[in-house]
Amino acid sequence: MAAVAGGAPPEAAAGALPDWFAAKKRRTRPNLIVHRWVPIALVGAPVLVLFGIVVYPTVWMFYHAFQNTNMMRLFRGNWSFVGWENFHAVLTSERFWDSVQHLAQYLVFGACLQVALAAVLALTLYEVVRRDWVRVVVLIVLVLPMMLPPSIVGVLWKFLLTPSNGAINAALLHLGLIDEHIEWFNAGMSLWSIIIADVWNWTALPLLIIYSGRVSLPPAVYEAARVDGASGWLVLRRITLPMLKEVIAIAFIIRFMDAFKFVDLVYVMTSGGPAQSSELPTYIAFQRGIREFEVSEAAAYAIIIFAFSAILITLFLRYLKKVLKAQGIA
Amino acid sequence: MSDSSYRLVRGLLLAFLGLWLLLTLFPFYWQIITALKDAAETNRTIPTFWPEVWHPENFKLVFAERSNLQALIDSFVIATGNTLASLVLGTLAGYAFARFPRQAGGENLAFWILSNRMFPPVAVLVPMFFLFDATPWGTDSHLSLIILYLVFNMPLATWLMMVFFRDAPRELEEAAYLDGYTPIKAFFKVTLPLVLPGMISVAMLCWIFAWNEYLFANLFVGTAVKTFTIVIPTFTHGSQTLWNLQMAFSLIAMLPPLVLFIVLRRYMVRGLSLGVVKG
Repeated sequence: MAAVAGGAPPEAAAGALPDWFAAKKRRTRPNLIVHRWVPIALVGAPVLVLFGIVVYPTVWMFYHAFQNTNMMRLFRGNWSFVGWENFHAVLTSERFWDSVQHLAQYLVFGACLQVALAAVLALTLYEVVRRDWVRVVVLIVLVLPMMLPPSIVGVLWKFLLTPSNGAINAALLHLGLIDEHIEWFNAGMSLWSIIIADVWNWTALPLLIIYSGRVSLPPAVYEAARVDGASGWLVLRRITLPMLKEVIAIAFIIRFMDAFKFVDLVYVMTSGGPAQSSELPTYIAFQRGIREFEVSEAAAYAIIIFAFSAILITLFLRYLKKVLKAQGIA
Repeated sequence: MSDSSYRLVRGLLLAFLGLWLLLTLFPFYWQIITALKDAAETNRTIPTFWPEVWHPENFKLVFAERSNLQALIDSFVIATGNTLASLVLGTLAGYAFARFPRQAGGENLAFWILSNRMFPPVAVLVPMFFLFDATPWGTDSHLSLIILYLVFNMPLATWLMMVFFRDAPRELEEAAYLDGYTPIKAFFKVTLPLVLPGMISVAMLCWIFAWNEYLFANLFVGTAVKTFTIVIPTFTHGSQTLWNLQMAFSLIAMLPPLVLFIVLRRYMVRGLSLGVVKG
């Protein structure tokens, strides 16, 4: 929080934990609630909306994952139960496993690389840059790409990476790093192009998270380390990194969760092609479901993705509860 | 580690940070100068890194095509409508979670609402496509996107409003009760003004996410309603892509979120720490 604001101390950095949900202990004074159902009604409205637009569709999806539904059957209402057949079809298709491989490539060279880069950049910014206003300006500039509409990011990078006369190829040629134009959108490179655009777009997210984590570490510990004459390297390895462990884990989990949603750059930059070489599972689910009307196969994809996300989200919420309470960030 | 090598490492790190800054800025630079070139210059075999002739009128030419202006209007209507809906629902629920945590369902319900924002929208979008198809307004309408964007904006609004209401002292509200205010009057006259700055920032945040959204719009609308996010990737003139106009249009369209971001950068990280930046 204080990170971007420019150095104000984070609220409740230590000690006073905002344990909002346990605020009821000392309440003997008259209750402010007029009616028992007032809070229920207030919370009920959004919960009902979420049931309508999230829970119901999800249940629908689970149901149809075990039917042989497609567009025609859906409108005639004559689908029938087929058991695990859809999952079998998905798990034995080459297209699925190719997309899993693409996802793995994206996770390693997109998500993980972003967090690693972000950690280096964030700690450099905090430890090496001295002036406060420089830090703020640098942070604002670094975060700008994140604020762009994804479709503009996709178009912009498609343009920058145009093989014949794009800026990147021209710049690389000019600097003498390559001898001939790189074909950024052929089967071997298209996924890499998407990853490059994504790294540009989203590295700032883990960077902000790690930076604000570092800002909220108690200065007293560093003071003590300085008095004891610990070297910068030792402080980094023994104090900063261990204390940032959870924050860095959160950055990883957030990027991994996003990876299962990540699809807009695929649509804008390559449409999964050429020859399905840049398809991710999420992209196939949308294509099969909404473009090709194979509803039940899309449902099977969705459930596989859903399962992985559920694991990550559970993990994330556990960390989030801990860190939110410990740092009072939110 | 010796002093000189320590300084060397710092220098290297600073250089890396500087390089990263340049890499971050370069696409923006390229976007801006391309928007100011003419079509012929953007199609040169060897691209120019500085426009030979400046064409600021490109920004006007973008709107020679009526549909481009219409796309911005559609995006605006959808983003604003969704922001209002998210804000009303989120404020009420946030208030309940902050003031009566246990009666409102407690921690688990709050985290469940938040988790809706994190799940990948695949499991929601495909069914919703067929469900909206059966409604009178259909998928291709402002209303369908206004409703769908609640999936990611309402949980965010609920949580951030909950945080802001937590920070607003309840003693003031209690004093208002003692002075004979009805609960509704106390809420509107005492509590709401206290959280108003926070509320405005939440509104801006939600508005940015709805304005920027691409995936839902790409799958749901496209004929009667077109958001700019789906117009820009398919921006062609005849058979040819007019990169200069495309870049000019995208510069215009990305200006609102960038300006809002600079205004509310202080609140950005609150949203970030909920892990919910991506829509």
